[in-house]
Amino acid sequence: MFAMKLGLRNLTRQKRRNMITVMVIAYAFFAYLLMDSVMNGMEEMSFVNIRDLETGNIQIVHSDYWEEREELPLENLVYLDQDVEESLKNINGLSGISPELRFIAYLNNGIDELPVLGLGIDPDRYQEVFTTGEYLVDGLMFSLGENKGVLGEKMAQLMNLKINDYITLLVRTKEDTFNTIDVEIAGIVNSTHPMVNSGMVFVPLDIAQRALNVENSVSLIAIKVNPGYEESVTETLNQNFKGKDLNLKAYSWRESAETVIALSTAKKSGIGVVLFVVLLIGIIGIINNVVLSALERTEEIGMMKALGMKEMEIVSVFMVEAIGIGIIGGLIGCLLGAVGVGLLTKYGFDISYAGDMANYGIPILNKIYGIWNFSAFYFLFILGVIVALFSSIIPALWAARKDPVKAIYHR
Amino acid sequence: MALLELNKVKKIYQQGKIEVPALRGIDLAVEQGEFTTIFGPSGSGKTTLLNMIGCLDIPSEGEVKLNGDEVSKLSQTELAMVRRYNIGFVFQAYNLIPVLTAYENVEFAIRLINHSKKAQIKDKVLKMLEEVGLKGLENRRPNELSGGEKQRVAVARALVKEPKIVLADEPTANLDSETGAEVIKIMVKMNQELGTTFIFSTHDPLIMKYAKRLLNLKDGMISGDERR
Repeated sequence: MFAMKLGLRNLTRQKRRNMITVMVIAYAFFAYLLMDSVMNGMEEMSFVNIRDLETGNIQIVHSDYWEEREELPLENLVYLDQDVEESLKNINGLSGISPELRFIAYLNNGIDELPVLGLGIDPDRYQEVFTTGEYLVDGLMFSLGENKGVLGEKMAQLMNLKINDYITLLVRTKEDTFNTIDVEIAGIVNSTHPMVNSGMVFVPLDIAQRALNVENSVSLIAIKVNPGYEESVTETLNQNFKGKDLNLKAYSWRESAETVIALSTAKKSGIGVVLFVVLLIGIIGIINNVVLSALERTEEIGMMKALGMKEMEIVSVFMVEAIGIGIIGGLIGCLLGAVGVGLLTKYGFDISYAGDMANYGIPILNKIYGIWNFSAFYFLFILGVIVALFSSIIPALWAARKDPVKAIYHR
Repeated sequence: MALLELNKVKKIYQQGKIEVPALRGIDLAVEQGEFTTIFGPSGSGKTTLLNMIGCLDIPSEGEVKLNGDEVSKLSQTELAMVRRYNIGFVFQAYNLIPVLTAYENVEFAIRLINHSKKAQIKDKVLKMLEEVGLKGLENRRPNELSGGEKQRVAVARALVKEPKIVLADEPTANLDSETGAEVIKIMVKMNQELGTTFIFSTHDPLIMKYAKRLLNLKDGMISGDERR
């Protein structure tokens, strides 16, 4: 107990040096917590954007379509017949169904031409699954049968288009002949997904099906599920398809988001490196502190040995001091981290200077918002204390093993 | 049986390839309650002899017995235990812990051997501080005390655990003669009241004046042993 009292009291010695070590540890903790928050925020936003604006929770496609889906073929589509409709009925946790026809198109404004991703949708059902409609900044969503379309704000600016302008989409039909879809711009969206803003044109599903000559077929059926039902709904759907001998398969959004998930995995490795650097800073700070303290207190160590203190008792004095520095540094770091993360969750972090994040495979626009990851706070604090404890052992042992005679008379 | 016995104790330091003998075969017996002074010129081996007696160092040859038990072949941990329970030290430079008060510096020594209730320890520490004339200064830190007061704290720290022997290496060297005399008088009083054995190394004629036994050390050997 007295060793603890002495160790804690020693924290008041060499205030400036202790304060520097505390602040270095605190800054390292702060930087890690901020980075962790931004990275997790980026991941969360990416996943939300993918689920809410790109894929839904589950995508149902023809088994042969999946591998080639990036090329947007018009082969191996899903024919919306009674068997398919029945397979989707009465599934617990399923909250929205949106058939989509995806196709390659060239957007023509009469002067310029731009390759785009065309999306034939049923607007009412589409809104059950996706939140795109919430991002309309001008005009309205169209209805089925209307020769109208919706496109992203960035694309509209690029092609100098506005509401009520007419555009032509040049498409290839299933039979590989050219056709066009002429629509009036009904609405312009500015969402948090860069691909929606700059690369997609939405048109009514029936208009697209007619133009592409695919009858009542769609590329995929996007499904929205209630939280926690993704796995069970996917399983039920696949069982239903098997039962009806349909060559369809349900895929989780995660399988569509391989790039973002790969980035997320890389991010975790990156955070691991940052964590290693943070701990290294802590270790060096603590070792430096204990070694300097031991050098300054050589005579005191000699006196302790003369009084009959055992090596481990002297070690414990230095360890208490080191742990004290670790705890104070960790607490200040966590406090600063909490303030930083609080600001990040409220005001976000502007990434527009870095250009279009979609180019890096990150479906986020302009701002990343941090998220609270309380486990990172606990984990880092506890790890910091443990590291302080272990990094002090060797220099403390070195101090405690000094020859008592040399220590007492070292001057 | 003598409290302390040294038989043919030699201590040789290795400086590179050269062997430097500090003690050349000391035979000494000290009885309980003696007030002994070791004097001699610088380099005569006073401090080395004190270190052997205090179990801070072990001899190159010969044996050191405390209460009849040989201590010169014990491990470092065992020596630490011998020091903890049997020996008190007073250093020239006081060696107090600056972040502890006078009370806590004394308490520190007794806490190592005594696990009694806090109140009992407190009584003992306060009584010892009163004995050395520090009543009212218990809560001062070393930087708030004069040299003499610091040395009194060191004396209280050495005595509070009631050791068999108190070793003092030039305890008055950093004090003026008046303060030095006060500190020595306290030690004489403790020697008489508690029967504690004191062994000093010193150049100070004042301490020699109070000593009951004078050991003259020269070139690592006892050249004179005078009892008064």
